[in-house]
Amino acid sequence: MSETTISLRNAPSEGRIYGYFILVLFSVLLVSIPAVAQEYRSGWDTVESGTNNDLFSVEATGDEIWAFGEEGIVLGSQDGGLSWSPANVITSSDLSMSDSGFGSILAASSDGTVIIKFESASQWTDISFDVGEENIRGVSLIRNDSAIAVGSNGSIWKYESETWSDYSVSGVDLLDVSFLDSERGIAVGDEGAILFSEDGGITWDYRDSPSEASSSRIIDIEFYSDIRAYAITDNGGVLKSSREISTQVGFLWNMQYFESEGGSSNLGVNLTSIEVATTNKFLLSGSGGYLSMSKDGGNIVTKQLIPVDNLTSFNDIVMIDGFNGITVGSGGTILITERSGEDEQVGFEVRDFSEFGSFVDYSKGMLIDGLFATINIVIFGIFLGFFLGITLSMMKTSPTTLKQIAEKRSLNLVRLFGALAFIIGFAFLNYLVPTVEGLGLDGWEYIYAPIGIINPGGITGDLQFENFAYLIFGVSLILLGSLFISANGEYKKSERELFGRTVSWNPWGVRPLNFIATIYTDIFRNTPLIVQFLFIHFGIQIGALIGDPAAELLEGSTGFIVTFLRDDILSNRACVSAIFALGLNSGAYQCETIRGAISAIPSGQMEAGRSIGLNYMQTMRLIIMPQAIRICIPPMGNEMVNLVLNSSLAMVIGYSELTRKAKLINAVTFQVFWSYGMVLISYFIVTWTLALILRYLENKTRIPGLGISGGS
Amino acid sequence: MENVLSIVDMHKTYPGGVHAVRGVSFDVMEGESVAIIGSSGSGKSTVLRCINRLIEPTKGEVRLRGEMINIPNADINDVRSRIGMVFQSFELFAHLRVIDNITLGLRHVRKMSRKEAEREALEVLEKVDMLDRKDAFPGNLSGGQKQRVAIARALAMKPEVMLFDEPTSALDPELIGSVLKTIRGLADEGMTMVVVTHEISFAREVADRVIYMDKGVVAESGPSSVIDSPQTERLKKFLSSISEED
Ligand SMILES: Nc1ncnc2c1ncn2[C@@H]1O[C@H](COP(=O)(O)OP(=O)(O)O)[C@@H](O)[C@H]1O
Ligand SMILES: [Mg+2]
Repeated sequence: MSETTISLRNAPSEGRIYGYFILVLFSVLLVSIPAVAQEYRSGWDTVESGTNNDLFSVEATGDEIWAFGEEGIVLGSQDGGLSWSPANVITSSDLSMSDSGFGSILAASSDGTVIIKFESASQWTDISFDVGEENIRGVSLIRNDSAIAVGSNGSIWKYESETWSDYSVSGVDLLDVSFLDSERGIAVGDEGAILFSEDGGITWDYRDSPSEASSSRIIDIEFYSDIRAYAITDNGGVLKSSREISTQVGFLWNMQYFESEGGSSNLGVNLTSIEVATTNKFLLSGSGGYLSMSKDGGNIVTKQLIPVDNLTSFNDIVMIDGFNGITVGSGGTILITERSGEDEQVGFEVRDFSEFGSFVDYSKGMLIDGLFATINIVIFGIFLGFFLGITLSMMKTSPTTLKQIAEKRSLNLVRLFGALAFIIGFAFLNYLVPTVEGLGLDGWEYIYAPIGIINPGGITGDLQFENFAYLIFGVSLILLGSLFISANGEYKKSERELFGRTVSWNPWGVRPLNFIATIYTDIFRNTPLIVQFLFIHFGIQIGALIGDPAAELLEGSTGFIVTFLRDDILSNRACVSAIFALGLNSGAYQCETIRGAISAIPSGQMEAGRSIGLNYMQTMRLIIMPQAIRICIPPMGNEMVNLVLNSSLAMVIGYSELTRKAKLINAVTFQVFWSYGMVLISYFIVTWTLALILRYLENKTRIPGLGISGGS
Repeated sequence: MENVLSIVDMHKTYPGGVHAVRGVSFDVMEGESVAIIGSSGSGKSTVLRCINRLIEPTKGEVRLRGEMINIPNADINDVRSRIGMVFQSFELFAHLRVIDNITLGLRHVRKMSRKEAEREALEVLEKVDMLDRKDAFPGNLSGGQKQRVAIARALAMKPEVMLFDEPTSALDPELIGSVLKTIRGLADEGMTMVVVTHEISFAREVADRVIYMDKGVVAESGPSSVIDSPQTERLKKFLSSISEED
């Protein structure tokens, strides 16, 4: 034994050398990231508009693009916005708003002038009406021949069958309206007003706006899709609404906090419009030459360079597709882009990835981002898994049997409890009967019932986890109840004659905590991790279920760690889901590892602890666990390495970790071997570092005479 | 003299069906030291472990100062802290230093502060002559030293009775002496104790009373002089088999 001890004393210095090595490795990595001073050029190009009038609004429909402006000017383009010609004068009012959709295109002035051009028509039709004292502030088409207009003092008008009717609500000035289809629309206005209609604009309900926007003017709304809507306030705020598990878009609104503005919810500019290109990509325009874009739903908003002077006020943007777009502004300004306005790097227009050096130069930034993303979910996953592993392993090794629980109570009490449990269990199951019947299952199909009862309504319905709880508790309570009712004070195992053999079973020997933990680990160890990822992220939507409320809870804090948790972890639903998938899965495996270590501790240790008067939990905590954890550091190391490797599966739920980054790099560079090869090396560095740290830890925590592992 | 420990008609059948103890009864008086001898497998350890309920006796009574302690509602942790137990294989807590092995129970059962507990610990370590190794890890101690620390750990709880289960059987012959000396010292101080042992000479010299167990029953008992003049054939055979070994 003393020999082993001596060799162990030498081990830590070996660990130190490894430590230095790693440090050097990382320094080299960091130094090799050069600071590049790059010149940029605006992604927008100027186009001759032929007018000096202010342009207020722009629309694209089919092959045509139309811009509207001061004194009734209407410009049309048939070639994607490169050349423009004025249409015949129809009105001399300022056409300050417009909308297109369902094949038609509509423009309006605040004084009640409204013009519309139907799909096949070559001329504009005047459908103006009398607005009385009020003003029009926003218009939206809801069919090719029907539209909604909103305006001051809660005015709402609907154009249908060639007549306008009034559906005004009492309230504040309305400033814009947007319809997703013929039924669902959202109107916004002063003092943070948000109204929702589900019947084509006839009735409207107020929705809660986020408190940060309650005194702002919401000036532009875009009801983009079934899953996303955006709105802006004139003082530089962006509001976002997403489909939640059971509520549709437009019901719950959140203020967007901009990472690029240091976590502020204010861009510090006067915005004029928002144009949504894809669910997470939008462009903003504003006064003072402001154009910007976000590709990640508003986390990072990047201001763009413009090819005109900063006095230009941009009033509207239209995206023809994900990349081609047009913006119009004061003094007849029209700009066009083929790259969503993103700044272009001068001199790097065509990137050549045929040289390994330039490939690495391009991809290392992405890889490092991916590496950090991977590390984020790995670290939190390990913590979650370890916590679960410890809890489950203690549950699994808990010695208390039903017999011991029952023995301590009088027989009558046991039977009474049994009867109660039976009745409650029965009530639970009874409650579920209609739901189960409603599932329409037949025969063996009932094995899928647990999934059916949690979400009987499908995608349109809620997740009813309580149903699952009723099922589990119902079945367990009935079983437990029947057993306790049958108690006769002996608590012995039962034997039966079955097909000529004696079968014995011992329900009193069941250890309840062990039973629960076993079910958990069995489920997670007998299903593929990739399916767990998909189920947890898309099925349960843990990211939305837990991440969003948790992020909200931390709202407003400024501490470094809290901000990191809120903005980088909890706000990223895929990240939260990935952490849970990895943690829950790893917990099941770590449980077995720790349990193995616990059973490697001689039973005499438990007896010794108990003999000095410690109770079971104290003995576990103070004597068994500290020794077990030390024993299981090496197998835990394997478990953690596995977790890192498994984290690559997070790419299936769209989390941008290392492997997904490799895929993205490959998509840009087409360098298959290099892309995946670099990722391979990156993974190796992470897992190998981890293994070294664990080896070091193992040496640090080794106790003389405990365990038999010699060197590392 | 007060009756400290009293065992009445104790039976133990292990789950596998081994009927290891078949009706054992005896009393231990205040300050008395009782030696239990008997061949391996005769149920000695089972009796000791049933006394502080590390295992549950199947039948029978165990009383500590008259109080029934083998009923489901007894405060078992309190009972155990009043009975000190020393194991054949020491069972020191390998991850804790010697001193922390001893303070653990004081702090978490007796709820003493660390300082108080350490003071007590130093006292008992002094008693077993292990003060100089108080900061060593158990893995770096010899067997005899380990067993003395284990005795100190039990003593620190100020038990009303000490149970020793073959405290020297796992030790090399040259290390046995120091442990026996420690136990003898305790007996001389008047500690009430039950010692399961194969050291016949020790039983003869130290014990006030000797109980001989065979096949789960008390086959013979009496003052330590029974070792020199056994009454039953069984004990005679056992004693001669032991002296042959030596
Ligand atoms: N945990 C156990 N399970 C089943 N049988 C046991 C157990 N412990 C001891 N026994 C059996 O009980 C009998 C008495 O054992 P024990 O009390 O250890 O004897 P001793 O200490 O006198 O050598 C032996 O036959 C032994 O095999
Ligand atoms: Mg024994």
